[in-house]
Order: sequence, then structure tokens, then C-alpha cells
Amino acid sequence: MKVAVLIKQVPDTTARISISGGLVDEGSISKWTISPYDEYALEAALKLQSESGAKVVAITLGPQRSSKSLIDAAAVGADELMHVLYEGDTGSLSLQSALAAAVRKSEADIVLAGKQAADTNSGSTAPGVAQMLGLPCVGLVSEVKVVDGNFVATRSTSSGMERVSVNGPCVFAFDKGDEELRRPNVRGIMMAKKKPIESLSPADLGVSMEDGGVNVESVGYPPEKPAGQTFQGAASASEVVTKLREEANVI
Amino acid sequence: MGYEALDFYDVDSLLTDEERMIRDAVRDWVDESVIPKIENACREGVFLDEWRQELGGMGILGAPLKGYGCPGLSYTAYGVICRELERGDSGIRSFASVQGSLAMYPIWDFGSEEQKEKYLPKMASGELIGCFGLTEPDYGSNPGDMVTKAEEDDDHYILNGAKMWITNGTIADLAVVWAKLDGVIRGFIVEKGDEGFSAPEMKGKHSLKASVTSELVFQDCKIPKDRILPGVKGLRGPFSCLNNARFGISWGAVGAAQSCFDSARSYAMSRIQFDHPIAAYQLVQNKLAWMLREITKAQLLAYHLGVKKDSGEWVPEHISLAKMNNVDIALEIARVARDIHGANGILDEYPVMRHMANLESVKTYEGTHDIHNLILGRHITGIQAFTREA
Ligand SMILES: Cc1cc2nc3c(=O)[nH]c(=O)nc-3n(C[C@H](O)[C@H](O)[C@H](O)COP(=O)(O)OP(=O)(O)OC[C@H]3O[C@@H](n4cnc5c(N)ncnc54)[C@H](O)[C@@H]3O)c2cc1C
Repeated sequence: MKVAVLIKQVPDTTARISISGGLVDEGSISKWTISPYDEYALEAALKLQSESGAKVVAITLGPQRSSKSLIDAAAVGADELMHVLYEGDTGSLSLQSALAAAVRKSEADIVLAGKQAADTNSGSTAPGVAQMLGLPCVGLVSEVKVVDGNFVATRSTSSGMERVSVNGPCVFAFDKGDEELRRPNVRGIMMAKKKPIESLSPADLGVSMEDGGVNVESVGYPPEKPAGQTFQGAASASEVVTKLREEANVI
Repeated sequence: MGYEALDFYDVDSLLTDEERMIRDAVRDWVDESVIPKIENACREGVFLDEWRQELGGMGILGAPLKGYGCPGLSYTAYGVICRELERGDSGIRSFASVQGSLAMYPIWDFGSEEQKEKYLPKMASGELIGCFGLTEPDYGSNPGDMVTKAEEDDDHYILNGAKMWITNGTIADLAVVWAKLDGVIRGFIVEKGDEGFSAPEMKGKHSLKASVTSELVFQDCKIPKDRILPGVKGLRGPFSCLNNARFGISWGAVGAAQSCFDSARSYAMSRIQFDHPIAAYQLVQNKLAWMLREITKAQLLAYHLGVKKDSGEWVPEHISLAKMNNVDIALEIARVARDIHGANGILDEYPVMRHMANLESVKTYEGTHDIHNLILGRHITGIQAFTREA
């Protein structure tokens, strides 16, 4: 069995973001990291590796710098690394086509990905790749196990936990689970450096990045928070309650 | 906002990819497993056992040693590890220094094949803890005059004497003990539970509170003959261990200083007095600029020493300079950072006073600040000034 994990390199959640010309100024970002939900997908894949003998192939699409996220994945145990090297901006449709083609090339049986990326938050990659591959997609998953030849996923619903069984290839989109993420050790880091990365262009995969489908036009800072309001004395209680109910929507 | 390591000259760009990955792994571990727990551990005066396990699990103990299950990293990588650990707390770095440079190293360099195979793999994994017994109650800076002695007795050695200030002593599974056999300093491996050996903990420290410090007491302590380190005689044994540990400290001190700078900078930016952030005042900026200057110099010193250590082109005096300078500036930076934090600086909500208190020990152990001055003085003049005779 082979498990593909889709990994996106994003700015670290603690990195300061600055915007220039309507787009995020990548040069100003001091630290890049694997998108947190993807880390849960990777952890689940590594569980399938240790429990069911699966081979794990980590796949990323992005500029040269993003190969670091594949090396990080190898440091915790990914067996194969595939980099779809693309320096430009990607629309979501072309991104999904390229990732789907990479998955096909990897001959993976199932695909694990984060439910959304920490930078764009669009949440379209996993279902999009599933669509392109003609596979079902199960979202908000926190665990996948192999039980009697089926993939059994645990997912949270509004009323509790749900267990879903899938009897064939599938894309699973991961939410943050309870699993503790493994950290790389020195041995893993030293081995990761030696692991080859299969580097492919979208053209190698027969995909054109021209028609992006959905493209980001521009980004901006969130609006400044309005100044806080101060109330004093018991007489203001009803006004506070009204504001909490109608403006803040918290009660 | 998370910790941002000051690296004004981008010195870390000189590291290899692996060294940077190791840095990130250790830094993340410190953020997750040390920072949230360290104040409580200090209050209780304990070194958490989970730290031992996790340091072993990361595979960073005995970092620069090769073979026998040891990581086999560069000395520079070892320095980076020390820096990141000491950014958390000098006590954590002390644990790693003692384990790797003072207990594993002498076995690795001077031990028999059997000793290496018996101890090193389990020490690298953190399963066994080691300590290093050199200092005695009456012999600190001049260990050459130690009185702990070993005598042959059939197929055993009998040890008598006492060591003091021994990091990890009480929690150690084995101690590398330096004692005189027929007047010559030799290394011996004493195991926990050996007859006549005890390691009571020293209490009441205001410094390195999350590190265990102990006495080692030998009362007709009987150890088998095969526990002597066959490969070294004289002070060269303990001093070669100290060279490696001091090298690590010269990096570690940078980590403590970076932590103090990080805290002082963000505090100065947010603390408003006289209607402006205190960072807007020239006196405070001068302090921050001085910290940046000294940290940058210390980083370059540590990095270049790492290069020299890795190429083998170093003399102990190079290490003395870096240990002395970097600990000295780190301690002064901690004090100035404490000052910038005002009253808040004395609280355990901020790391500065803890680093400051820790660095007082670091200034003293592994050769006091002035002993390193004397080492350099002898190097410059050719005249030793350690003692007044001869
Ligand atoms: C927390 C902690 C952990 C330690 N861990 C270990 C350990 O694991 N193993 C171990 O063996 N030891 C350990 N030590 C001991 C440490 O190495 C000694 O404290 C150190 O070598 C200094 O010895 P001393 O304390 O006896 O000071 P002293 O040697 O008495 O020095 C006192 C002062 O006199 C000065 N001085 C001494 N000689 C001269 C001279 N000739 N000229 C001018 N000034 C001089 C010193 O610079 C210092 O300022 C530890 C110490 C501490 C505090």
C-alpha cells in the first residue's frame, strides 16, 4: 500500500506578514513551515506506515524553497519525496490538476492532505484533487486505519465522533487531531538529507498552469479592531447585555 | 509572538542544512517541552525525567561522538544544540554538557572497547545518565591537588574521598571519577549501587535550580579492576573533557543572552512610561544596541571556534577565550535585561532573572572567569600566574 501526503509550505504561524502591491511579500517572511493540518495528515500516514507497512510518498507543489518541507517530512519518516517545481502563483484549478497528476504518477492508493492550508485557508485542494482523480473525499478526518482491507476514518461531527469506512482509494482531508506529532531526531535528519527528491515540472506531468480557474486577486490586512468600550456601575448592565447579544453575538 | 533568535549578521546562514534542521528541532522542543515547565521545575528544584527521555529520543546526547550509537555530528552542530538548550535554561544545557562531554567523552576517548560498548549506546539514548567527579570540597580551581585516591586490592580498586558540586550526581547511573592511583590522576567508572558509594544531593541553590547538583562520597568504595579508564593518565584526562564542555558553553551562553535580548526588546516596545514605549528612549536603545553588539560578536566567536574545532586547528586557549567572553557578556546582558524589565524583571513570568542567576554558576564552573584569564595570561607571557611559587 502506498499513501500520498500532500504537503504545502506556508509562512510559520508566528511569522510577521507584510503586504506589498496587493500580495504577500514573501521576501519578508523569516520562517516557512509545513502547513499545520498537513502535519496531521503526515502523522496519520506515518501511523499507516508503522502499523500497516504502508509506503509514504510526500508530495509538494511550490517554488524551490518548498523542497525544505519534503526534507522535513523525510526527517520524520516519509519514504519518497516528490516536488512539483513551480515558481509562479497558482490558481486552485491548475494546482489541483498538477497535484492529481503527481498522485497518479506516484501510484498511491490513498491520499492524505490537510483540510485547508494555513496561509490561504481556501480548503479546496483535497476535494479538488479527489474530483480530478475521480475519487471520494472524506473531510475533517482525525485518524485513518486499515481494518479488514477497508480504510476506516474517524471524523468529528457537530454531535460527536463519526466513523466512516471506505472500501477503495480515497482522499482524506485532515483536521487537527489528538495525535501528538512526532518530532524529527538527529538520525532522521541525517538520513533525510540523503533521500533523493523527484523534481518534476507541471509540464513533465502534462499539466498546464495557464488556466488557474480560481485566482487570488489581492490580499489585505484585516480591519483594525475598534477601540474597546468601558462601562461602569450596575446601571449599565442591561446595555452591556444588549451589546454582548447584538453586537458581539456571544450570548 | 514566539521567540525570535537575534541573528543580526545571519551567522546561522553559515551552518549546513542539517545543522539548521537540528537547530529547528531542538528549538521547537525547547518551546514545547522546556519553556512551559521550567519555572515550576526551578521552584521545585528538579530536573524532569521526561527531559532526559526526550533528549535521548532526539538523539542529541554525545552529539559530536562517532560510533557506539552516538550521533556523530559536527562540533558546530553540538554548539548549536547547546545554544538552543541554554536559550531554554542553563540547567538543561548543563545536563547535556555533562552527559555528552564529561561522561560519554572520556569513555569514548579513554575507555576500553568493553566499556565503550557497555555504556555509550545507552548513554546516547538517555537510558543511562552519567556524571563527572573532579571538583572536591577543598580543590576547585586547582584539581591537580585532589585528595581522592584509589588503591589496588586484589582484583579491585578501593576509592576513598569526596567530590562536590557534581552535576547530575544523584540521578546518575554512573560517575566518571578522577582520583589518584599511586599519586597519578586516573579516571574510574563508579556505578550507582557500588559498595561504599553514595551521592547525596546539595540543596539550597539560587542558581541552576532545574539541575541536580550533588556530592559524591566514597568510603572504601569497591569497584572491579575493569572500571579504570585505561587510555589516560594525569590531568590531561579531565582537561580534555573540559575542553569539549567549555566549547559547548561558549555557544550555550549565546542562547541565554538571545533569550534575555528577546524578552528585553519586546518588553521595551510594549512598556509605556511618560506616554511612550520605554524603547523610544535613548538610554534604553543604547542598552539594546549594546546587547545586539555583544551577542553578534559572541555568535561569531562561537561559530569560528566551531569551525576550528571541526578542522582540528584549535588550542585550549581558543576555547578559554570564548567560554570566558561569552559567559561574561551573557551574564551582563541578563543583568541589563533585568533592569529594562523594571520590577517585572524579578518575576518568573520573564526568563531574565532565571538566566541571570544561572549564569552566575556558568561563570564559575568549567574554569572560573579568572582561571581563563590566567590561562590566556600564561599564553601571552609564557609565565604561569596560577600559583605564587616557582
Ligand atoms: C552548579 C555547579 C555545577 C558544577 N558541576 C560540576 C561537575 O559536574 N563536576 C565537577 O567536577 N565540578 C563541578 N562544579 C565545580 C566547579 O567546576 C568549581 O566550582 C570551579 O572549578 C571553581 O572551584 P571553586 O568553586 O572551588 O572555586 P575556587 O577555586 O575556590 O575559586 C574561588 C575564587 O577564587 C578565584 N581563584 C582561584 N584560584 C585563583 C588564582 N590562582 N588566581 C586568581 N584567582 C583565583 C576564582 O577565580 C574564584 O573567583 C560545579 C559547580 C557549580 C556551581
